[in-house]
Amino acid sequence: MTATLPSEETTPAPRSPRFRRPARWTEFLRRYGVYLALLLLVLYNVVLTPHYLQWSTVTLLFSQLPPVLIVSMGMAMVIGTGGIDLSVGSTMAIASAVMAKLVAPESSHGLGYPIAVAIVVGLLAGLAVGVFNGCVISVARVQPIVATLSFLVAGRGIALVITGGALIELFTPFLGTLRRGTLLGIPYVMLVALVVILVVAVLVAKTGFGYRLLAIGGNLRASVLAGVPVRRTLITVYALSGLLAAIAGILATARLRASDPSYIGLLLELSAITAVVVGGTPLRGGQVRVLGTVAGVVLMQMLQTTLVAHNIPDSVSQMVEALIIIAAVYIQRTSSRSA
Amino acid sequence: MTHRRHVVAVSALAGAALLLSACSTGQNSGANTSGSTSSSSSSSSSSEMSSSASAPSSSGASSGSSMASGSSATSGSSSGGGSGSVPPAIAAAGGTELLSAALPQGVEAQYGPVCKGSDLGIGKIDFKTDTVGWAQSEKEANPFRIASTASEVAEAKKRGIKLLTTNAQSDAQQENTDIKGMIDKGAKAIIFSPINSTGLGDAIAYAKSKKVAMIPVDRNITGVKGCQEVGPQLGSDFVLQGKLAADAMIKATGGQANLAILLGASGVNVTDDRTTGFLDELKAKKADGIKVIFQQTADFTREKGKSVTETLLQAHPDVNAIYAENDEMALGALAALDDKGMAGTDKVHIVSIDGTKGAVQAIVDGNIDAVIESNPAFGPYAFDALDAYVNGDGAPAVTITKDNQYDKSNAQQALDSGTAY
Repeated sequence: MTATLPSEETTPAPRSPRFRRPARWTEFLRRYGVYLALLLLVLYNVVLTPHYLQWSTVTLLFSQLPPVLIVSMGMAMVIGTGGIDLSVGSTMAIASAVMAKLVAPESSHGLGYPIAVAIVVGLLAGLAVGVFNGCVISVARVQPIVATLSFLVAGRGIALVITGGALIELFTPFLGTLRRGTLLGIPYVMLVALVVILVVAVLVAKTGFGYRLLAIGGNLRASVLAGVPVRRTLITVYALSGLLAAIAGILATARLRASDPSYIGLLLELSAITAVVVGGTPLRGGQVRVLGTVAGVVLMQMLQTTLVAHNIPDSVSQMVEALIIIAAVYIQRTSSRSA
Repeated sequence: MTHRRHVVAVSALAGAALLLSACSTGQNSGANTSGSTSSSSSSSSSSEMSSSASAPSSSGASSGSSMASGSSATSGSSSGGGSGSVPPAIAAAGGTELLSAALPQGVEAQYGPVCKGSDLGIGKIDFKTDTVGWAQSEKEANPFRIASTASEVAEAKKRGIKLLTTNAQSDAQQENTDIKGMIDKGAKAIIFSPINSTGLGDAIAYAKSKKVAMIPVDRNITGVKGCQEVGPQLGSDFVLQGKLAADAMIKATGGQANLAILLGASGVNVTDDRTTGFLDELKAKKADGIKVIFQQTADFTREKGKSVTETLLQAHPDVNAIYAENDEMALGALAALDDKGMAGTDKVHIVSIDGTKGAVQAIVDGNIDAVIESNPAFGPYAFDALDAYVNGDGAPAVTITKDNQYDKSNAQQALDSGTAY
């Protein structure tokens, strides 16, 4: 078990009969379980939640989903390579802090730059974190979970240092527009998320980059032997993940009208991983299910909304979420080898 | 095999989240879970908490929430102002009698016995040469914590005292370590803001063995006999804050409302106290027209305050009053209301607790009805108490500082004079 890149081993290990399940229905569950669960949840809500069958339900989802959706897209690609990116939540905080520090007026300890500059620099900061992660993983050969864990811890500290530890309130008109503006009834933030989803879907399914990404996740050794530029591809994947996290961080900041580096994106890496896994993307890599991930995000968000709407104590909702994660991971374990 | 590791790692993370949720379980519905706080702050600290902080008698072992619900039972009657009565919250912190001596400026009440450092074998402190430690409990990310530390640092500077500072980042274990570390570095006294009413038994026992004076501020250490574990305690009365908030809410709504409560972090006694104080006062004032239709934790953060309120508005469009147990959650709620075009006290009433600039400004803007202050500036009181405790005639076991209250009538003035922090 040397510390090299993930998913070297793809040949199915012999499995004990005790764990063998009829492959067909578990495979079906893995692929379509998330849609099934989503359908059940919607039905439950339609019957039991007051005021559910309204357009406002959709607009609420549209305003709450985008940050997680965007981060999950990056995460799905990373997991597609057999890696994992735990740093996304902290990256959001860094991007948010950088942007806030730049755009805030000098009266509130900011630097007073125009919002466009602030956003671009914020995005670059996220990109830089991603590139750094990618380099550590592909060049220094540190396991993704360890490499990105370090930034999970350090990143939030950096964000806190940037803002001086305090929350920065932002009254920039552009962020207000971003938060409240709609096009054909769809909020701008959701449009951003939709564009990201579309781009990632095309990247993964139709481009050479996507093909290489999946090849690395599917069989690293074979990819190396076949001359796939592994380093370049991995760095690009993590860089994209960092960039997407930065976009999510800026949207989350606009949503809150403040940069709160202690809480922005806190534990979001877990939500993103959950969504990807629940959406049927196997953690061993080699596959990316974009639509499944979207459904996973919607499922988890709607679950949370449902529990809050029914006034279920916080502790119970966290347990329910954990159970769903365990179920999803279990289904993967039982079926992924036969896939 | 690496992918298997990932699976293990992720499920471990999920498990960790589950554990976290389990140990921060807490009340949510207010009074009905006695003993919930024993699982509070951090699971690992519970063992040592029973070792020393639960000390001799009292209901201390079951700590904050039982204390809070206990206070709910009697406070209705005692609030009338019987002179010698001691609220259960004070009794849990070691106060035995209400002191009738003239109160210093800014102090609401003082409770005996009078503590002297010499009782615990603590020697005199020369503030010109000796070091004092300040242990902050939570990240200095919200205005309350910033003001709290700033007050201690400024006061030490003013008096020319050498001050060590630490911040436990909301981790009880870390605060234990911080305090012990500062004692090892030679601090002769520790002023600290406890992360919770229990859970610091380890540090308290260590300080006692090293004859170091301990002055808790803000949240009180409970389950102690006056002056036998820690020195004089300075705190706010969180139950009272809840009551004042209820009074303000009754006044704002005229006693008719569909009310939602944004609870603070689960398993913290401040949350319990502010909830019970509020609900008891509604009952005591017979405000039956105020229906509590929703109670959810929003973790004292703006982000959660916003997302929980968004869901609240979706599920209960008829809500027209929100009680937020701190200002950050209130501002989050306000952001959610604003997005829906429902901001403004004519549409939804908001009452919150803390007294930060942002919230007081929102009163001026007509979006929040009232803010009950929780004064973070303990610095002057803490150093006065310390001085009296080790060098002077002693200090009362429990001192409750006075909290302001802001509404339309004085909000602008509070902003101008800088009393809102």
